[in-house]
Amino acid sequence: MRLTAAIVCLAISPAFAADDGALAQLRRPGVPPREVPADTPVVVDPTAVPPPSRDLRYEMAPVPDRWRLVNTIGVLDDPWNPYRQSTLKGDRPIYKDYFFSFSAILDTVYEPRSFPVPVGLQSTGNPGDNDAFGRTPSNVLSGNLILSAAIIKGDTAFKPPDFELRFTPVFNRNRVEVDEPRLLYPDPSRGTRRTDQFVGLQDAFLDYHLRNVSDRYDFDSIRVGIQPFISDFRGFLFQDNQLGVRLFGSRSNNQWQYNAAWFRRLEKDTNSGLNDAWHQTRSDDVVAVNLYRQDFPVLGFTSQATVMHNRNREGADGFHYDKNGFLQRPAPIGFERPRDYDVTYFGLNGDGHFGRLNLTASAYYAHGKDKNNPFTDETADIRAYFAAAEPSIDFDWFRLRLAGAYASADKNPFDRKETGFDAIFENPQFAGADASYWIRQAIPLIGGGGLALSGRNGMLASLRTSKEEGQSNFNNPGLALLGGGADLDILPELRFSVNANRLWFADTKVLDTLRMQEGISRDIGWDLSAAFVYRPFQTQNVVLRLSGAVLLPGKGFKELFDSFEGNKTYYSVLTNIVLTY
Amino acid sequence: MIRILLILTMLIGIGGRVEAQQALTAAEVIQVLSQAASEAQARGRPATIAVVDRVGNVLGVFQMTGANNADPGFAALSVPANPSLRTVKVLDNPRGTNTGLNGVDFVPDTLAAIAKAITGAYLSSGGNAFSTRTAGQIIQSQFNPGERNTPSGPLFGVQFSQLPCSDLNLRLAGGTAGPKRSPLGLSADPGGFPLYKNGELVGGVGAIADGTYGIDTDIFDRDQDLDELIALAGTVGFDAPNAIRADRITVDGKLLRFSDAARGNLLSNPAAPAALSSIAGSIVAVAGYFSGTIQAGQAFLAITSGFALDGHTYGLLSVILVDQTATRRFEPIAGASLSAAEVKSIMRHALTIANSARAQIRQPLNSSAQVTISIVSGTGEVLALARTLDAPVFGTDVSLQKARSAAFLSSTQAASLLRLADAQRLTSAVPLLTPNESLLTTYLTQSQSLLGPAVFADGVAISARAIGNLGRATFPDGIGGTPNGPLSRNAAEATPFSTGLQLDLVLLDIASHILFVRGNLASDVSTQCTRTSAPLGTRVLANGLQIFPGGVPIFRGESLVGAIGVSGDGIDQDDMVAFLGLHRAASELGTGLNNAPAARRADQLTPLGVRLRYVSCPVQAFLGSRATNVCRGH
Repeated sequence: MRLTAAIVCLAISPAFAADDGALAQLRRPGVPPREVPADTPVVVDPTAVPPPSRDLRYEMAPVPDRWRLVNTIGVLDDPWNPYRQSTLKGDRPIYKDYFFSFSAILDTVYEPRSFPVPVGLQSTGNPGDNDAFGRTPSNVLSGNLILSAAIIKGDTAFKPPDFELRFTPVFNRNRVEVDEPRLLYPDPSRGTRRTDQFVGLQDAFLDYHLRNVSDRYDFDSIRVGIQPFISDFRGFLFQDNQLGVRLFGSRSNNQWQYNAAWFRRLEKDTNSGLNDAWHQTRSDDVVAVNLYRQDFPVLGFTSQATVMHNRNREGADGFHYDKNGFLQRPAPIGFERPRDYDVTYFGLNGDGHFGRLNLTASAYYAHGKDKNNPFTDETADIRAYFAAAEPSIDFDWFRLRLAGAYASADKNPFDRKETGFDAIFENPQFAGADASYWIRQAIPLIGGGGLALSGRNGMLASLRTSKEEGQSNFNNPGLALLGGGADLDILPELRFSVNANRLWFADTKVLDTLRMQEGISRDIGWDLSAAFVYRPFQTQNVVLRLSGAVLLPGKGFKELFDSFEGNKTYYSVLTNIVLTY
Repeated sequence: MIRILLILTMLIGIGGRVEAQQALTAAEVIQVLSQAASEAQARGRPATIAVVDRVGNVLGVFQMTGANNADPGFAALSVPANPSLRTVKVLDNPRGTNTGLNGVDFVPDTLAAIAKAITGAYLSSGGNAFSTRTAGQIIQSQFNPGERNTPSGPLFGVQFSQLPCSDLNLRLAGGTAGPKRSPLGLSADPGGFPLYKNGELVGGVGAIADGTYGIDTDIFDRDQDLDELIALAGTVGFDAPNAIRADRITVDGKLLRFSDAARGNLLSNPAAPAALSSIAGSIVAVAGYFSGTIQAGQAFLAITSGFALDGHTYGLLSVILVDQTATRRFEPIAGASLSAAEVKSIMRHALTIANSARAQIRQPLNSSAQVTISIVSGTGEVLALARTLDAPVFGTDVSLQKARSAAFLSSTQAASLLRLADAQRLTSAVPLLTPNESLLTTYLTQSQSLLGPAVFADGVAISARAIGNLGRATFPDGIGGTPNGPLSRNAAEATPFSTGLQLDLVLLDIASHILFVRGNLASDVSTQCTRTSAPLGTRVLANGLQIFPGGVPIFRGESLVGAIGVSGDGIDQDDMVAFLGLHRAASELGTGLNNAPAARRADQLTPLGVRLRYVSCPVQAFLGSRATNVCRGH
């Protein structure tokens, strides 16, 4: 489509060149007409045929399909090469100005990792397993085939399309191997290997362009269906593809952008993490309103203010078990009674640069009510906050980064306030993201209930059963993170990143209570990681990633966990191949 | 004098505070009874209420006029109905056939009230206040009950302890010394609470007015349970400190339940109860339990309570049992294959581990575990029994049950003993009480089909935890759609009132005891459970089988020579105290004594692909130490 636009530009230029009157109209609104310099071509090759004069008139024949003009000069449809003209890629309409766009991505991950593993309660993998901590190595092999097809009506590149109908099914197959029974299934006799597959629906929406509100194509659009949405620049609060209705648009030459959205959350498939569109939706709604302002407070920095509300009514839904049979809702902690909650998040976010200093920053305040605090069986006020910032600076081919984040903790689970910050559905692109051990790996809170200390692809130590299927939990130990890193563009094809993060809990009282163990240290430890991203063709069509991370446990982590091997270091390796058509 | 000072110093050092020796006075017993009865009166529901002290002496039983059901008698043994007797019915099995105690309807309601009061007192301590509701939460097939795919409650089976036939628990004739037996074992029916004075546990109160001796199988709702409301009124002024109540204690992250009823739900004013004499009803004698005269309670650790401090037997401060003549019970002795020195060493190491172990079920956090430890010979003779200072009393009997159970099922004689007990039973004067009672060989046959024909005769070391694996309603534990554990009734029949082999070993004893209390039998049940096995000259079943963790057999080389059982804290702590205590003693002694050889342990067995467990030691075992995996390699 991009290429088509360029070719169309070339193709139609002579038409406008036909007279100066037309050329004079070819200008940006509000900008005075440009002085056209005298047409005095530089003579490079005296033998060459002189270019046509600007004033030359020529016959113009109407062409029924301007998209296929270039057919005549041999630029033919090539369905196999996405960099050629392709009707499959929306370069040419399929009917009038209706375009079809298709892409396919094969995303394969192989992930050897280790994390603290409980020995099964009713059974163990090996004789002589007399203690609570089992063998830590495990690995995941997971492949996603992402097929995305869209029908788009509109003039493509020049203005927003009139509508877009998009459908993205994802076919996943995954296999996990662990060393201890009861980690993958509640029934220890089902062994230590699990293969599963699922078809998820990650996009299924109709995007309708309501109107343009300015000459610069500021617009209002509405999008209905399963669609991506991100709460802020880094996905600290909510980043997901969910079922909803979203009104969005821009004003003042795109300087202002807004979103107003309502989502009814879909269940997630347990083992693939994909949307389970084939079952009843969750009794959980998210309403989001946000406003972006470009170049504020300075040129090159975008600021955003947002209010998001999460209304959860799963208290009446009874118990929800995941596909493997583990209880997800309510979380099996405290009184373990199903509960409802309402939380409103007020956020200020920014992304951009102040001179040479790049900065991404986020701050959220969560205010709401938990209808049934799991530790008191009474209502509790939710009052929690979160802040994160990543300043960085670029030097030629490398970037140096710092990262800091703080999530408030609950300091007393038995009072009527819940002050631990939890997100709705975090997916933080921060501090190393999925290359980092802490963010990538879920760590089961062994001996403290069927909870994850921190979730997979999550940063908060929010003690949910899981990010995907659990409810938010505001009785948690919070988190403090300080880190630094660098992105090195060693070759145009090769980027190398390193990260070192130091992690602490903000307050461990909740952990003390769940583990009946007073005085657990706040010190989680060091999370060190390195990642290569190799793009052999300097495109996104083939991307190879290899990352490795280690967690060097601090005092608090050691007071919570151990391993059968007596290893004091846990690792996470991610090998990832993404092939895109 | 110096010795007393020394003991006091040690008490402060280890226990954190001196036992204040609080006790209920007779007037306070009447106060508790009148508060509870006033609530029952306010609700127009006659109740039967019992108050006991910490060691199980029944201090008062008040039966309001018209309480509970009329007696139906017991047709199976030609026992006629007694119109003057008020009875309760044990909850019907909601899933099918009544077996075990399910549906039994000839139980005097006084016995239900006493069992509930004893449970409130026995499960609690200075560091944890548990009620019968707590008991109900931790003895069902799932923890929490109603949650799927999760293993059974940690104390599954504890209801069948303190049995009326126990050779450990004392009887009314034993004077004020405890621990006393409980007529129906421990109760899981809401309506039994501990009583405290100045933060010290002094006893328990139990009430029954709803006619059903049951259990709450849905703990996710909030009940207004009649019995619980009445008993709760009785606790006012003797409340458990909030900080140590069950609902401040987590097990695997789950808070325990204390009471669904709250003070605000009461219809009466417990601060100004009606005088007991003004309430229609009477203080009633209960054969085998209560003379009919209100008693004052015993101060715990006073010599008359049956529990006494001891500073020298094991070289550290502990609590031992004494009888009404202040004679020590269960002083360390030699067994057939264990010397007294070895027994002492095992006990000393086990007590030391308990004192340094981080408690699972006590507040404040980082208290030391409080347990009772029993050491028995291979034939179940008690070689030593001692406890830490604040261990809950229920563990006295349970620790002995666990030790004997491990000794029993690890013995090569176990299978033949079960067969012989059946043979004796079938030739006894009383017919087999089917469907309540089942032949013991039923469980042997089930075990053989799962574990092979030589099971319980092949000398495999079976720990209390492994017995638990085999004794659950499902195998593996907690997983629906699987066969029942071989020592359990099938899934349709199994309930907390019908656990399988455990109950069937003593069902006749319990039934006989109830008939004795009713006056239908002249003599009480003997002081040895499963009397039919007595000809074998063993006491391995003398106070009943126990089927939750905390006991391991003791071996010398390849020979079973005894067992150690521990009860009172979390089951992982109980396991550790037994297993590691034995290991450390063995290391010190160097006499060939040890845990079972690894190759003989139950965790070598993998029936249906599910490996049995031997022991499971806790996540963060010790105070002041980050040591983990402490039982590894032993």
